[in-house]
Amino acid sequence: MLTGNKNTSWKFFSWFFALALMLPIVVMLLGSINASSDLFSHLWATVLPEYIRNTVILGLLVALLSFCFGVPAAALISQTNIVMGKQLRWLLMLPLAMPAYLVAYLYTDLFDYAGPVQRLLRAWFDWQSPNDYYFFDIRTIGGAAVVISLVMFPYVYMLTRTAFEQQDRNLLRASRLLGCTERQSFFQMTLPLARPAIAVSLALVTMETLADFATVQYFAVSTLTTAIYDTWLGYSDFAAANALASVLMLFILFIVVAEQRARAGQRHQSSRPNTQHQRKQLSVAQQIIGSIFCWFLVFAGFLLPVILLLVMVIDYADYQQLVALIVTGKNSIEIATYTATIATSIALILALFQRLHQSRLRMFPVQISGFGYAIPGTVLAMAMLATFGPLDHAINDVAKALGFTAPGLILSGTVFAIVFAYIVRFSAIANGTISAGIEQIPKSLDLAPASLGVTTLSAIFRVHLPLLKSSILVAWLLVFVEAMKELPAVLLLRPFNFETLSTQVYQLISDERLEQGALGAILIVLFGLLPIIILNRQKDTP
Amino acid sequence: MKPLINIENLAVKLQATVILTQVDLSLAKGEILGLVGPSGCGKTTLLNTLAGFVAQSAGTIEINASNNQQIKVSTAAMLPAEQRNIGMIFQDYALFPHLSVNENICFGLKKLTKTEQNKRCKELLTLLELTDFGQGYPHQLSGGQQQRVAIARALAPQPSLLLLDEPFSNIDARLRNELMIEIRRLLKRLGMTAIFVTHNKDEVFTFADKIAVMHQGKVLQIGSPAQVCQQPNSWQVADFLQLGSWLPVALLADYNPAQVTSLIGQLAPSAIVNAPADNKRDSALNYQLLVKPNNIELCEQQGSNVIVEHIGVTEQGYHYLLSSIEKNSVLAFSQLSFYSQELFALGDKLAIKLKGEDFNLYTRTT
Amino acid sequence: MNKIWLSPLVLVALLVASLNVAATDEVNVYSYRQPFLVEPLFNEFTKASGIKVNVVFAKKGMAERLTREGEYSPADILLTTDISRLIELKDNGLLQSTQSAELSAAIPAQFKAADNTWYALTTRVRNIYSAKRLGKIDFNYEDLADEKYQGRICTRSGKHPYNVALVASMIAEHGEADTLTWLQKVKANLARKPQGSDRAQVQAIHQNLCDISLGNSYYFGNMLKDEKQKLWAEAVYINFPNQNNRGAHVNISGMAMAKYAPNKANALALMNFLVSAPAQKMYAETNMEYPVRPGVKPSKLVAAWGEFKADSLPLETIAKHRKAALILLDKAKFDL
Repeated sequence: MLTGNKNTSWKFFSWFFALALMLPIVVMLLGSINASSDLFSHLWATVLPEYIRNTVILGLLVALLSFCFGVPAAALISQTNIVMGKQLRWLLMLPLAMPAYLVAYLYTDLFDYAGPVQRLLRAWFDWQSPNDYYFFDIRTIGGAAVVISLVMFPYVYMLTRTAFEQQDRNLLRASRLLGCTERQSFFQMTLPLARPAIAVSLALVTMETLADFATVQYFAVSTLTTAIYDTWLGYSDFAAANALASVLMLFILFIVVAEQRARAGQRHQSSRPNTQHQRKQLSVAQQIIGSIFCWFLVFAGFLLPVILLLVMVIDYADYQQLVALIVTGKNSIEIATYTATIATSIALILALFQRLHQSRLRMFPVQISGFGYAIPGTVLAMAMLATFGPLDHAINDVAKALGFTAPGLILSGTVFAIVFAYIVRFSAIANGTISAGIEQIPKSLDLAPASLGVTTLSAIFRVHLPLLKSSILVAWLLVFVEAMKELPAVLLLRPFNFETLSTQVYQLISDERLEQGALGAILIVLFGLLPIIILNRQKDTP
Repeated sequence: MKPLINIENLAVKLQATVILTQVDLSLAKGEILGLVGPSGCGKTTLLNTLAGFVAQSAGTIEINASNNQQIKVSTAAMLPAEQRNIGMIFQDYALFPHLSVNENICFGLKKLTKTEQNKRCKELLTLLELTDFGQGYPHQLSGGQQQRVAIARALAPQPSLLLLDEPFSNIDARLRNELMIEIRRLLKRLGMTAIFVTHNKDEVFTFADKIAVMHQGKVLQIGSPAQVCQQPNSWQVADFLQLGSWLPVALLADYNPAQVTSLIGQLAPSAIVNAPADNKRDSALNYQLLVKPNNIELCEQQGSNVIVEHIGVTEQGYHYLLSSIEKNSVLAFSQLSFYSQELFALGDKLAIKLKGEDFNLYTRTT
Repeated sequence: MNKIWLSPLVLVALLVASLNVAATDEVNVYSYRQPFLVEPLFNEFTKASGIKVNVVFAKKGMAERLTREGEYSPADILLTTDISRLIELKDNGLLQSTQSAELSAAIPAQFKAADNTWYALTTRVRNIYSAKRLGKIDFNYEDLADEKYQGRICTRSGKHPYNVALVASMIAEHGEADTLTWLQKVKANLARKPQGSDRAQVQAIHQNLCDISLGNSYYFGNMLKDEKQKLWAEAVYINFPNQNNRGAHVNISGMAMAKYAPNKANALALMNFLVSAPAQKMYAETNMEYPVRPGVKPSKLVAAWGEFKADSLPLETIAKHRKAALILLDKAKFDL
């Protein structure tokens, strides 16, 4: 396989990139060493247990709800003849395009006591005070979990649906012949076989939830991230904040490891995708319930928020806003493009390294480069400053010593830091997609080119990359969308006069003037739709 | 005695495409039927229809289990797969990857108590020499072991009929024969009725009591392997079973029995034992004579009429593929098999003629 | 090999592309204040002086960023919305003292640091809003703990800097133990878990969810200017608490010069501009705040709320008690 010089340089770059992505995390861990135990004992004695409880409950609830939304939806679309299944198939992915903080803002606003829904109800039924009627309180853990799940469930839906569709249909047939009814066969065969996909997607959803701050804040739910912000911004104890962030990261690593463990015993690949599989014919009642379920998800996760935004756009948007958006939109697209391109390239290098290299530690670069996903954006931004600040100082000191003018903060004060932070954060997505793609390539294809007298490198370009084309596209698009939506890191790291769509929307939200930012929000959503449309195209024409 | 399975006038349509039509089959208890035919002939669909994975569009399937329980499936009364009491072994075995070997085998035994399940499972493990692997998972087993697990799993619920979809195609060629004999013995011992699908005619001859040749959704011929080989009822049957090579011939007159001529000589009407029932001479038809290796001999007295195109070595001597020297005739041929102990060189020109008394004549319809 | 080399190359290209060539006539601002509040002022400044103002806005982590950037920080001016931030920056040694005739003339001593490291620009009152249906009431902050208001009070998160500063002022007045009791009683009186913004509380009053809320003064003016929110604001009175004793709690928005300001002269020019009478007028008016420069009147609308007595507690004391305030808020589990 890889031999000689190329072997070592490939190895060097793999480790170099992996360690570079790991660096801010190491800096964060080191930064937590000086944490004061006083503050911890105070937090522990007062609010921390409840924060942790909230975090765990929120994580579990989101996982549970995403499961309850995503898995039945996947089953309905892939296993039954549900009406408009072809449309629902991609409609159900749309909520992915909605930034969670945006939906959180819109929904808390909508269902709040003072929000339009409750106002309308009060007007209709002539209720005067909250004691006159019951209405669910949106600003609770439950409310937060529902709303987060509404935008996150498509991960579960997508991965599970794919797993269902790629299941070997003979396994299902065998179970039928061995006495399982259709229903039993689903629960004893289809579902357990899709467990790895379900586990991966739930882990992803849980990670996102635990690292989130902005969304839960709208719901007035205090979690571990609240504690991180309190200690850092309130108590000005950066070390303690780092320590808490490290704890949170361990939490998340635990989930990841548990998920991988759970999957370790199951190695199987379908040889016979379930394409011609007979769909279950639903009864009329089942059709109605299934359709209501799917359409509810599409409506609540995508249509309603978009309608709310569009109403605002119609009421408030003007030409001037549009002009301003062109600049900010360009910034967003630029950063997202850099991030997606570099993250995908690194993922390719690492994944191919893992696949083709003989080294015993070959899986490590891929694994450690994905840790960043578990870190809240702002904490990561701080880690970036802590990492590149000193580097910048060194560069400037050297430049001055050599008699040049100091170049300034070329690492921590420029777009470089933002893109780097994004790559750290979203590498996990690119890695996952590319690795999954590589696993689909038969091992024999690694060897075949050599038998034809073609070097490994040339084989990579002529065999692996073409075969990975769709995975590369998917990885690129997923990272692109996430980068378009990302907020906290860019907010803190951006250079002067630098706005992106998300910072602009955020600023207007934070001043409760989303109306004026609605157009920008719609743009973020529109860009988020791109990959979904392309992903869907791809799946339909293999 | 009632046949164990009786299929009448079975037809399957998928989106207006006819996959199966007019299929009639019946098997007595304990019989093993081999379904053969070129790919796309509908043999796997027939299996899937019997199992209940594909819905029939016409006809009936009747299964008379030993306990006098009768299962009857018709378009009016469909029965889901799980209620047909049919076992199946899949080409890729379809072992449940998330379950251990024991769990795989007990999967169909949910109605039994745990002790009964364990007992049955243990019996099958012993029977199939898998006792050491009960706790293992499918991916830890070799191909042959996986197949035995698949068999054990299919036999565990004591099905009245066993279906096997290309069961031996994943097995090493050297082991295949041995395994087939072993499994056949096992099925016979259990008195199991079985239908298996293959594209390999040798497997049928080793494994089956009966053979059914399918073509374009129809069963062309059913019978014992010997019977079918001796008297294939159509060009397709003979061709698929590779019973000889084809010699294009012309009918000299349209009376019965036929008198035919070819580029390597004529045949007397008495030499043709089997000919199309209605053989009015029709120049549009393509008449072909089934020529078995022992139907050709060298004859020096004549001028040469064939040329050696290919030489192969077999245990019985040399195998030559001959083509006619005359290339422009409608009767020209290119792949006539000829066996001889004598060694010729490529391009040698030979003189051959037909011999023997038991020729079969077919019309080839394409 | 090409592909592997590609990524570092892209990184380098990116880096070079993003290098800002330092222009001379500039001043760089790190702002906790939202851009739309300060940009009109900066535009005026640029028009008058020809100096370009670069802004980066963030609510979180500015101090940390400044610390990390150290002597190479491009920041000249820092704008904050809360006294505690200014003190934090000062305590971390990130500010330098500045002086000019204009600054000394414009800002009274109580609104600047003793060592001239920071200057206030505007003041804002932490008001108590009450439903008009209750009639006019003279509130003290202490009254919020009164049992008669059980289930009738709304507020944003206790951890918000504005509330933390209020709690700090309570500590300065009553000591920690009594303040904790006060917090616990206020919490018991809350109609709902602390949530949303100051405006959302007024909205809740309008919708009968509660009767009393805490909110900064300028929100009242801003709501009255907003078509939709006007309705909410009209449902409440804005009350200046503790008028019969120490006076209403006041916080400031302020500015300071960064310790390593690279464009010192321009920065000073901007500071001088911000305290000039027209700028003060404008700054106070855009966000309905009270200008600190004596003689500059607040907007008509703000002035219409009447004169009030402000707590004379030194701003630095409020900052001093900030940490204690946070600890008490945690102890009372105010937000949970």
